[in-house]
Amino acid sequence: MFPLPKEDKKVSPYFVFYLIHAMQIGVGILGFEKIIVQSAGYSAWIAILTSGASIIGLIWVSYRILNKGNNDIVAIHAEIMGKWIGGFFSFIFLLYFFAFALVVLRSYVEVLQVWVFPEVSEWIFVLIIIFLSYSYVTGGFRVITGVSYLGIIYGLPLLLVNFYPLQYADYGNLLPILSASPADLFKASKEMTLNFLGFETLFMFYPFIKDGPKSEKWAYFGVLFSIFIYLFTAFVTFVYFNQEQLKSTIWATLTLWKIVDLIIVERFEYIGISVWFFSILPNICIGLWCASRGMNRLFPISQRNALKVFCLLLFIISVLLTDRQQIGVLQNTVSQVGLYTIYFYLPCLLVFQYIIMKVKKR
Amino acid sequence: MGFFKSKLKRFNRDNSKTKNENSEHELQIDELLHRCKESNDFVSYRYSNSSPFYIHYYQTIVDINILHQYILPYIKDNSSKTLFDLQQAIPIDNTEIITNVHEIRDKLLTGCIVIEVKGSLQEALVISAVSLEKRPVSLPEVEYSVVGPKEAFVESIDANINLVRKRLPIPDLIVEEVKVGSLTKTRVAVLYIEGVTDKENVNTILQRLNEIEFDQIVDSSFINQIISDNHNSPFPHLIDTERPDRVASVLSEGKITIIVDGSPHALTGPTTLVEFFSAFEDYFLSWHIASIFRLVRLFAVFFSVLSTSLYVAVLTYHYEMIPEKLLNPLIASRSGIPFPPILEAIILELTIELLREAGARLPTKIGQTIGIVGGIVIGTAAVQAGLTSNVLLIIVALAALASFTTPVYQMGNTIRLIRFPFLITAQLWGLLGVTFCFSYILSHLLKMTSLGRPYLAPMYPLRLNDLRDSMFRLPFFMQTKRPLQVRSPVRTRFQPKKHEKSKRDIED
Repeated sequence: MFPLPKEDKKVSPYFVFYLIHAMQIGVGILGFEKIIVQSAGYSAWIAILTSGASIIGLIWVSYRILNKGNNDIVAIHAEIMGKWIGGFFSFIFLLYFFAFALVVLRSYVEVLQVWVFPEVSEWIFVLIIIFLSYSYVTGGFRVITGVSYLGIIYGLPLLLVNFYPLQYADYGNLLPILSASPADLFKASKEMTLNFLGFETLFMFYPFIKDGPKSEKWAYFGVLFSIFIYLFTAFVTFVYFNQEQLKSTIWATLTLWKIVDLIIVERFEYIGISVWFFSILPNICIGLWCASRGMNRLFPISQRNALKVFCLLLFIISVLLTDRQQIGVLQNTVSQVGLYTIYFYLPCLLVFQYIIMKVKKR
Repeated sequence: MGFFKSKLKRFNRDNSKTKNENSEHELQIDELLHRCKESNDFVSYRYSNSSPFYIHYYQTIVDINILHQYILPYIKDNSSKTLFDLQQAIPIDNTEIITNVHEIRDKLLTGCIVIEVKGSLQEALVISAVSLEKRPVSLPEVEYSVVGPKEAFVESIDANINLVRKRLPIPDLIVEEVKVGSLTKTRVAVLYIEGVTDKENVNTILQRLNEIEFDQIVDSSFINQIISDNHNSPFPHLIDTERPDRVASVLSEGKITIIVDGSPHALTGPTTLVEFFSAFEDYFLSWHIASIFRLVRLFAVFFSVLSTSLYVAVLTYHYEMIPEKLLNPLIASRSGIPFPPILEAIILELTIELLREAGARLPTKIGQTIGIVGGIVIGTAAVQAGLTSNVLLIIVALAALASFTTPVYQMGNTIRLIRFPFLITAQLWGLLGVTFCFSYILSHLLKMTSLGRPYLAPMYPLRLNDLRDSMFRLPFFMQTKRPLQVRSPVRTRFQPKKHEKSKRDIED
């Protein structure tokens, strides 16, 4: 009922590193510092570590589910809960993937409007980005893997420019090391987890990995690399800004790029935002791919048509969201749903799958 | 719907029936000769009244000396009465007695002398006496190299295969020939080394060649465009080269070469994007120099594509990005210019394209003059007249220069073409526009394949082994494996000797 993809559509296991990492580094990194600092002050870097560790745990859980099911989430749901209930949960998953792409797209366009082109209306950028994503997704999963991989390669040099703010660093900012209460740290960890969301797409693309179980270590490496990048960015931000200033800076990482002073370029943030597009694009593409692929698995509709429908929806909803508040509400809703999905639903699914399999065997 | 389908089927069937009838209708030899005689260069006569032999040939494609020296004397001595006797007597190999009239016609048209005997209607002796005009093997002009072999392909397929075969004297070098083109009947040869080349690639090419339905194949670039994986792509899918040494080397890597009669360019594939920026001269230089040159070329491509559009983007939208010290010369050069940056850039880019086009169409001697006149006179005049800025002139000229560093001509054209979408998007959305355009081209390149193999190969999918001879060229002792791209059944090129670090002391 749910056939596995053909061998020539699959990618090597090590690409899971790029796929997972590309999904976790998106718009969040441009301004996550403010949010975690508001809860836990400059001890918030511990929150990055703790939430990262919990994500590694969840990846372990995901691989247990996937290795046993040896298919994507749609097939696993159908196997465990039957056609209707399973299909319902799968459908919610699809909507979540779609909403993920929507959040990333709309947040990036907001950054563009605030930082680069205040006078251009948002629908133009939304349209162009959707068009580009459509062009990638129609290339299939291999092309999407390609854009995640190349996006990371193009984005990495941006890490180097962090050394400019380090020249003005005040390392005393970090002291005392543990100033926040455990409750504050827990709150900050919870908020940090939102930035690590996105690895759930693994549930959709797992069958497209050659020798899936082997890719597990690459998934861990991907998360570890994300943790490193968040930690490093947070470190640079913390030593550059003082705490009160950071609490009122919405896009701290972006503001840091302003410090960069190259011989031939000033105002580096314009370049930064443009290059960052290559880190945003994989998020939207993978989100759309997962959603459209899921539709194709659930309903008798071709993936191409499903993709067209999703692109149209993406455009309409993005244009309808006009102000900061609405975007904020969307971001919060999607991240809350994501949070409960990964921390409650996934472990439940693991247990449930274990029990059902046992029962079925008898 | 069903009604139409059945109608369509019947229509097809009727069509095929008439076609069958046409081919079933046997062409008579008299009819053939009658048709040929309409052309003035067709010669057809009976040797003498006493001789039973009729001789037919096209005098324009036959070497008349062969007829005079080796055929006529044996007809004249009158000892042979039948075609078989004559075939035995004539001291020329590869003569044939053919009964199929279609075959006779083909032979006649490719430079054979046909001898017919009185009384026998459906039989003819066919003697090959082709005389083809061809120029001698000359210097490579498109892919010139300072060191290394100086032979280039010519228009004759046999001479070209000769040039390749003498470099690969092994029986495994296989030549498969296909005739393509309903009017030109062009000979197309597919060359590969048995056992080294993936059979699937060969079959792909042969299948695509056989599927070609086109009336004229005049040059290998026709084939290149017709059998490409994506017809809407501005990027070439196969490398065309005029160097037999490059073909020999590519064949031994496990790739396939297509040689087309009448074309001095061979096609090789499957290929990758990076391969278009490797000149064959890279292998004649030491590996450090070659690697640096390759990187310079890749940088030149990016510079050529992006520089003007970045100028337009920055000067139109992001002037805050220009550092204070750089601002002075820019203002000085742009202050009197009446046009916005985009117009300025398009004028200059078009000028350069005009110069290039004019230079390419004119004979070499005048072409050089045009280059100098255009470059110096128009450039200086445009700046002095206050129409364009000095800075942009420098950028555009450098970009044009950079685009000419691409060793493969077809790719150079593509690079010059894709500058224009970048310019337009840069004008519309600044740096973001450049990013959008770049990512669109990236999506195209990611989807692209050459003979079904990924086009961006050593980069994506990442193949570390193949990087040894793509963006860099590492020394020969490290090139022990054939590229993964070609899926060669024998991946090892040679057994590397253990590279022992000498343990000798300094003065030992």
